[in-house]
Amino acid sequence: MSSLTAETGLTPEAELLESHKKFMEDKSSSNFSSLNKIGAQQFEKLGYPNSKHEMFTFVNTKSVATGFVSAKGSEVNKGQIAEFVYSGCERSLVVLVDGQYRENLSDLSDLDNGVKLVSGEEALADSKIREYLESSVQDENDTFAAINAAFCQDGLFLDIPAKVVMQSTIQILAISSGANGENESSYPRVLVRVGDLAEAKIIVRYAGLKGNYFVNSVQDFLIGNGAGLGLVQVETDQKEARNFSKTRLILNRDSRFSGANVSYGSALTRCHLEARLKATGSEFRFNSVGVLEKKEQVHHYMRVYHEAAQCSSDMHFKNIVNDQSRSSVDGTVIVEQDAQLTNSDQLINNLLLSDEAHADSKPNLIINADDVKCTHGNTVGQIDEEQLFYLKARGLSEAIAKTLLTKSFAASIVETIEFPSVRKNVEETLLKKLEANDG
Amino acid sequence: METKSSSRSDVSEVLSDKEEYKFGFVTDIEADVFPKGLNEDVIRALSAKKKEPKFMLDFRLKAYKKWLTMKEPDWQYCKYPKIDYQDISYYAAPKPKKKLESLDEVDPELLETFEKLGISLDEQKRISNVAVDAVFDSVSVATTHKKKLMEQGIIFCSFSEALLEYPELIEEYLGTVVPIGDNYFAALNSAVFTDGSFVYIPPDTISPMELSTYFRINTEETGQFERTLIICSENSHVSYLEGCTAPQFDTNQLHAAVVELITLENAEIKYSTVQNWYSGDRETGAGGVYNFVTKRGKCVGNGSKISWTQVEAGSAITWKYPSCILQGDNTVGEFYSVALTNGLMQADTGTKMIHLGNNTRSSIISKGISADQSNNSYRGLVKVGKNAKNARNYTQCDSMLVGDKCGANTFPYIETANSSVQLEHEASTSKISEEQLFYLEQRGISRENAITLVINGFCKEVFKQLPMEFSVEAQKLLTLKLENSVG
Repeated sequence: MSSLTAETGLTPEAELLESHKKFMEDKSSSNFSSLNKIGAQQFEKLGYPNSKHEMFTFVNTKSVATGFVSAKGSEVNKGQIAEFVYSGCERSLVVLVDGQYRENLSDLSDLDNGVKLVSGEEALADSKIREYLESSVQDENDTFAAINAAFCQDGLFLDIPAKVVMQSTIQILAISSGANGENESSYPRVLVRVGDLAEAKIIVRYAGLKGNYFVNSVQDFLIGNGAGLGLVQVETDQKEARNFSKTRLILNRDSRFSGANVSYGSALTRCHLEARLKATGSEFRFNSVGVLEKKEQVHHYMRVYHEAAQCSSDMHFKNIVNDQSRSSVDGTVIVEQDAQLTNSDQLINNLLLSDEAHADSKPNLIINADDVKCTHGNTVGQIDEEQLFYLKARGLSEAIAKTLLTKSFAASIVETIEFPSVRKNVEETLLKKLEANDG
Repeated sequence: METKSSSRSDVSEVLSDKEEYKFGFVTDIEADVFPKGLNEDVIRALSAKKKEPKFMLDFRLKAYKKWLTMKEPDWQYCKYPKIDYQDISYYAAPKPKKKLESLDEVDPELLETFEKLGISLDEQKRISNVAVDAVFDSVSVATTHKKKLMEQGIIFCSFSEALLEYPELIEEYLGTVVPIGDNYFAALNSAVFTDGSFVYIPPDTISPMELSTYFRINTEETGQFERTLIICSENSHVSYLEGCTAPQFDTNQLHAAVVELITLENAEIKYSTVQNWYSGDRETGAGGVYNFVTKRGKCVGNGSKISWTQVEAGSAITWKYPSCILQGDNTVGEFYSVALTNGLMQADTGTKMIHLGNNTRSSIISKGISADQSNNSYRGLVKVGKNAKNARNYTQCDSMLVGDKCGANTFPYIETANSSVQLEHEASTSKISEEQLFYLEQRGISRENAITLVINGFCKEVFKQLPMEFSVEAQKLLTLKLENSVG
């Protein structure tokens, strides 16, 4: 049963469909219209989730039930976003403001030969892309991704042609302006195609200027035969903000994906990642680190589908939770019947620093092939007393010793981030946050 | 209330051409069966027939009303045709003959049945130190060793007997661990349970023998709704064995039992199960038992311990989560499980460990083996409450796959809300090791024996928790079950 929202007295479903109707009436017809329609239909099918839905067990969806007012996309200047740009990416920068691509803020002068960037509107004119997007929305299982499809008006299509080995690192910066007051939502949508034998490096960073906005993004990555993609997703949102994202990865033959996710902490962050290992020899690696304090929440929902033989997947999560913060990881590896010789590992480590913090895990395995090696592990613990004693015995103060130990807990993940500028930033911010904890 | 006798003429024909299942025989005893269907009148009649005290009838009716408002759950990883609850007879009992004075008076056919199952009710059993409370068709027929137990103040009897003789104990504890509205099948059981076992261990008593009950489904199309309640008082200890086999039938049989365990201060209950209900036709899956059981123990007193050990080798569907609520300080919960599925069997089983008290510890060892086209899931919850300081959990769940059409799943839920908790969980799924098989085969051991050996080794940690007789039985059972699966 859905609860009524406080302001309108409507169920979230009704409210959303109502505002979708208005949205469709107001906007002029575009290439996105049919996608919007399919998105709304899919949303109707899925309904608005509550904590009884297996997919949202740990996530309070009520707090985003009022955030359907689309952000208008206000003016933002270069100075305002400068701090969010990683060094080295200044000239390969793609900026979205409230879900809409901004040419004036972006800088593509360093992009490698052949790498093509088009707006979503343009990309949808291509029937192949359109078919892919529409079918992906029709099969969507995540309500919020369906809502994204229902409301998105623009997006980004990045095409890395076959055999191009990118020298530059592209940063996609999704800015939420928060300019139009409370509870506004933005719906960034990104589609990246990495051609056969190409190599790409992409950083996706979420940042906000102010307010308790709700950013609801969807990203698709199609990785061609023998291609490789290195991806880092960094959520550096405002503290009151809510960030839901769905990332879909399609891995073809002998392709490689190595991803990392860094959560700086916000009111509510939810990452849904769906990886499909479609053909033999594909490889999926994913690391995630979160440092949470106060009432921050980060939830990961991972689904890795092994659909072909001889693929491997490896996931590692580390969360440090303090104060009243919450983290959850719901990771499932699904091995289809034909996916023999699968190798899959999943490890979740939680460092629980406060009695009021929560750390929940659901590392699941669904296996329908017999010749596989699949493992998962999960731990919840505190700073080891003996290690602390060891350091204190050598003259370190308790606060310094604790900082050292918590930082080294996160270090093993941070070190795996391929991009030095991201790593540096993460180290500096993490350092700050963990030191503050020891006060 | 109208009752009818079921016809058994065609049963022997049905069974004559099915010899795969060793225990697939039917005892020809005139059963006292209620007509199919469930409503308040049936419950009243059931309660009246068993001469139950009023609180029991109220309990049943309350549960029935609750059940009517509930929906059958569908989240489990099992598929089965919808159960028609009006198509089940809710009472079946061997017709009450005159009160039995000795074993000689027990129906010889019944005794023969037990003989085939390997339970002998005669004196030899006493020497082997096992008291057997054989539940035949939901009603206890004979209880041995009662006297010996009684000398120590231990009550071990059928549930209906306990209701008549110790109603105050039952009123105090029944439904305190599994509330009537806990889940769909527990509510149904609370409304219509016919019989079961009742155990009460007085303070400072260590049970001189292992208490054992053999369950047997006998009358065709009769749901079995067992109710077991074990209360272990301060500083006491008891080990309880439960084993089941079922005859072969073509309609699915629902078995929705509820087991409640309660330990007071420093008490310990060890509950062991070997389950081998008929799992249905190997090819079509028809006729297997649905084993939807709610088992839960509550460590009420400080320093108490509950240990579950189960070997699940039968049933078309096994769906149960023997759980421990660790309420007292320093309490311990344990769960050891081997679940074997073959043919078209489905199992969704595991445990729940709810840590509420300080310094509570729990460990979970679960071994799943799936063969043929079966599906075997481990689903477990480890939940640490806010005030459960220094809670400790260790979980290990391993799955082994035999054959390329089977499935093995693990669904652990780990919820922690406390910074002093130490929790480890590990799981792995893999195929039976070719290298190990090669090693054994090289030494002249046949492939089938090699597989049995490897699998028994895989389950060793759990088997060694079982009482000796069960341990031997369990190993034999696995060997028997895997006979046609590998080759």
